[in-house]
Amino acid sequence: MIKIILLMACVTFTTRFLFLSKRLPFSIGPRMQRFLSFSAPCVLTAIWVPIVFVQEGKLAISLNNPYLIAACVAVLLAYRFKNLYITTVVSLAVFFLLKL
Amino acid sequence: MKTAIAKGFWDMLPLNLAVIPWGILCGSLAVQSGFSPLEAQLMSLLVFAGSAQLVAIELIVGNASLITILVTTFIISARHFLYGLSVRHKLIDKPLKWRLSLGFLLTDELFAFSHHRRAYQGKIRLVYALVAGGSFYIAWNIWTLIGVVAGAMLPDLTQLGLDFAIASIFIALVIPSITNWPTLLACLTSAISIVVFKLWHFELGLIFAALLGMSVGYVFESKRGEK
Repeated sequence: MIKIILLMACVTFTTRFLFLSKRLPFSIGPRMQRFLSFSAPCVLTAIWVPIVFVQEGKLAISLNNPYLIAACVAVLLAYRFKNLYITTVVSLAVFFLLKL
Repeated sequence: MKTAIAKGFWDMLPLNLAVIPWGILCGSLAVQSGFSPLEAQLMSLLVFAGSAQLVAIELIVGNASLITILVTTFIISARHFLYGLSVRHKLIDKPLKWRLSLGFLLTDELFAFSHHRRAYQGKIRLVYALVAGGSFYIAWNIWTLIGVVAGAMLPDLTQLGLDFAIASIFIALVIPSITNWPTLLACLTSAISIVVFKLWHFELGLIFAALLGMSVGYVFESKRGEK
């Protein structure tokens, strides 16, 4: 078991550290930089969107889906206030009220 | 410096709390699956990757081969290559201790705070990232410990809807960063493609949805630059 855990740790650490290693001698040009500048917004979107729109393997676009309604509230709040705590606390409250 | 430490802590706090159900699950599921308490904790201490840990525990219970477990871990973790590549130009000239520590801590959660143009630039911003990433590491291991010790007594918290908390935090982080058309189109592309990939059960969907969105953003920004 310990062997499996150590080998898994090697895999996850390698995927994180590889491109931070100086042993890989390459530098990122301006075009690549422009491409990569979109990585964070795209990855974050790809993480939250399925939580909201996909339930139990199916598309869940319905007014009965509390995730969808509360996510719309979160988007509006994030757009208006640009504040992590306002957006999360209020939209989470809306979400739990809808689930009651 | 104090401000950087406080900001790192407070910025990461919502995510530290939102992952409580999954941290506890990683501990309790491991113990219930025949891991010793030490092994269960070592998984969070060393592997430190929620979805990879949960899937690996299920594979181990199902007597999967070592190579299956490692290949699956690799597929789930492959998105981190993109994170490392995206922050490479910001970190590559920093001393090894910073690259090793922040590399180890480079989860989805820390990457979510790495987008700022000047992220990782200067000691203050490095300390900020270390506190944010480090607090997530500590929190993840405390939740795992609670799962290891008390998992059998606790109900399954993952059904409570705290996954919405994670979604709302990422919404709060991504929406303000959409300040121009190329970024909006990039995000919409990623949004539509990840839904399609999820419905197809495509395991590498996250990476491909990100790459598709990034390509769209790149093309539109390049066009805008030519005008």
